[in-house]
Amino acid sequence: MLYLDLTVTGLMTGVFYALMAIGLTLIFGILRVVNFAHGEFYMVGAYTYTLLSTALGVPVWLTLPAAVLVGAALGWVTERTLMRPLYAGYSSWGLMKDEYAIIVTFGLSLLLINLVDKVIGPYPYRGPELIDTARVHLGPVIADGHRLMATGLGVAVIAGVFAFMRFTVAGKQVQAVAQNRLGASLAGIDPGRVSAAVFAASGGLAAFAGGLLAPIINASPDVGVFTAVKSYVVVVLGGMGSVAGAVVAGLFLGVAESFGAVFISYGYRDTFGLVILILVLMFRPQGLFGEKGRSV
Amino acid sequence: MTFLKVKGLEKRFGGRHAVDSVHFDVAAGELVGLIGPNGSGKTTLLNMLSGHLAPDGGTVTLEGREVTRLPVHRRARAGILRMFQLTRVFDRVSTLDNLLVAGRGLGLNARDALTRARALLDELSLSPVAALDAGRLSGGQRKLLEFGTCFMVPPRIALLDEPFAAVHPSMREIMGRFVRERHALGQTFLLVSHDMPVVREMCERSVCMNAGSILADGNTEDVLNDPAVIEAYLGGEAA
Amino acid sequence: MGNSERRLRAEFHGSLVILALVAALPLVLTSVYWQGVVIVSLYYALQAMGWNLVTGYTGQMNLAPAAFAMVGAYGVGLLSHHWGISPWLGVPVGVAAAAGIGLVLGRIVLPLQGAYVALTTLSFAEILRLVIGNSYSVTRGDLGLNVPTVFDGRLPYYYLMLAVVVLVQIALYALMRSRMGLFLQAVRDDEVAAASRGVSIVWWKTLAFVVSSAICGLAGTLYAPFAGLISPELGLILNTGLVVSMVVIGGMGTMIGPIVGALLVYTAGEMLREVGDYHLIVFALLVIVFARFFRGGIWGLLQLGADRLPGRRETGAREG
Repeated sequence: MLYLDLTVTGLMTGVFYALMAIGLTLIFGILRVVNFAHGEFYMVGAYTYTLLSTALGVPVWLTLPAAVLVGAALGWVTERTLMRPLYAGYSSWGLMKDEYAIIVTFGLSLLLINLVDKVIGPYPYRGPELIDTARVHLGPVIADGHRLMATGLGVAVIAGVFAFMRFTVAGKQVQAVAQNRLGASLAGIDPGRVSAAVFAASGGLAAFAGGLLAPIINASPDVGVFTAVKSYVVVVLGGMGSVAGAVVAGLFLGVAESFGAVFISYGYRDTFGLVILILVLMFRPQGLFGEKGRSV
Repeated sequence: MTFLKVKGLEKRFGGRHAVDSVHFDVAAGELVGLIGPNGSGKTTLLNMLSGHLAPDGGTVTLEGREVTRLPVHRRARAGILRMFQLTRVFDRVSTLDNLLVAGRGLGLNARDALTRARALLDELSLSPVAALDAGRLSGGQRKLLEFGTCFMVPPRIALLDEPFAAVHPSMREIMGRFVRERHALGQTFLLVSHDMPVVREMCERSVCMNAGSILADGNTEDVLNDPAVIEAYLGGEAA
Repeated sequence: MGNSERRLRAEFHGSLVILALVAALPLVLTSVYWQGVVIVSLYYALQAMGWNLVTGYTGQMNLAPAAFAMVGAYGVGLLSHHWGISPWLGVPVGVAAAAGIGLVLGRIVLPLQGAYVALTTLSFAEILRLVIGNSYSVTRGDLGLNVPTVFDGRLPYYYLMLAVVVLVQIALYALMRSRMGLFLQAVRDDEVAAASRGVSIVWWKTLAFVVSSAICGLAGTLYAPFAGLISPELGLILNTGLVVSMVVIGGMGTMIGPIVGALLVYTAGEMLREVGDYHLIVFALLVIVFARFFRGGIWGLLQLGADRLPGRRETGAREG
């Protein structure tokens, strides 16, 4: 019974890890950079959802989409203002691309954290739950009503992302740019627009996760730091750039942590994923996440 | 005497042989042209000679010393210096310092490296841009600079991959003269080039590769007139 | 003299002038509080100098400098807490611990590039912080450790910290003037090309990582007895963010940037704090603006200005 319980809890956590990681991995797929402000998209989503609901009394079913929109807008603006130099002009930047992207997104992360800390304050806010039902019995497993609803929405959105990537023209364009930017642009796809759209989607997904988790993990200025670290682990595990990999790795990490917390150590549960990340990069520096640059 | 000896060198990518059991020797002081259609394995071979690619079989011997498994930097210090087809220089350090990196890396002391670098800058007409970051140089100047870094310490053998491609004729002239002069003084070269007139003019001997194997090896004129070589080039162009 | 050497000399001399001003500062700056601010900014300057070596010069995106400072501080703290060993003896132990851990991490990230280095070092830093924060029996976890003071009053700490910054700066200058300086920059710009000219990537990248970690560790060992209380918060990613900001604003890949950046960001931050608590917002914005438009940082801008004055002389200020 314990095993089933741990598995279900782990999978439920894993859905949120996957939700966070999909956006990050899509960005890596398109621009080959890691967005170190990803956690702050999550944080902004958590605040938008929580504050609109609690302070303005807007119904949660409206504040959740609002959080997504704000996150998407933030993602889009980030791409237009800070990511463009990575591919528009600056031909000599090839060498410094990683450095620039890391520093600038790291700076954005600091900016958003401190902005929120100053404007809204350092105190945590608890988001309202989507439904009031406290406990739901799923056969032998007992789950919290909000958590179950949030997980369900998360699964639905992940399914939606898959359907989008697989069945729509726009989804195929994203894949085309990820596979071969130059080729895609020759085929008439504007990589700049795709990048902006992917950033917006990524911000929206992260903000969505932030909203869903706000009743469970209180919104605070640095709430995203921790979440972001989890999504780095998931993205590396699943293969940088792979959406399916991110989902599988997200669920895996959720379950691994839930078992590890019980059978290895509760205090160190947050280190498991980090150790896995380092081990993966040490022993599968290519392979797991696709290509490694040719040496010559 | 055999200076550079390549014995049974091979490399597979996936199931395909990029280089398939290649044998050839270079004698001291030779200027050998390495030709062949695109995808014939020239650059792969060069990568194995310079240590950028580990061969799946075979050996490389330089002056009787086997270097097959030496890492790139040790092979450079052993005197195998190569120029890349796509120029590689250090963009955020100056032209002069690019040369100094090579000099110090290959074991010169600070003063000798500086003397040598100044002389090379003059010889390659790069003195006016000595203090510029290499990232700001023109494509041709970058190529000249990379060429220069091969000669900070006279190499045992210089491997040049398409040094003359896409370079302004005046710079091509500078490099060409440099190669001829050093060759006259006994410098050994392996020159990869697509430019047949250049190969014809500079190399007494040529090796032609096709599909990972050596198709012809000998006097350049004979190699270029070899029906198999002509066939390989025409076939390559037709494909 | 190579151009790199010429640049280094100008930057080094500039940094000495600034440090001399810092040395004279207590003559007018008698406020104990403000002396403390300068001490902390020097603590950050050391970390910034260490980080600049491995990231600014060598191009390895290390996101663990604050964690190495934390390791150094805990080296001092643990020895004193468990065995009553003087912080003076703890300093070499803390530095050695940071260097040793730096060696391990440096070897792990050796074959990795760009974003992968950043992710690995960030994870490693978080592991260190979480382990220290959760090992209550050894480290007292989040409660932190008390570290005995070694001086009475602020000024001795002030001059100790300053003297160490000066010595480390001189040592870094000597390192960068040697072939190591050329090699690190070559490795940063193109590893394949550097190896092809006889530069051992393994040796120089690892060495840079170890030296950088040791310097960050040293910062922590000196900070511990000054602060009197250390906690795992020293190793927070946000503190690494502060170090990165300082170097980017001051001028990455220069001898002077980390010092200018740390002093400016930290002390100006404290001044702005009195006006309103907006300093971190301002600096985060500055980091983005500098990274986006003025890659040479403040030093790069100054050089650009200097170039425009008497004729045009290319010193290679590294703006975008």
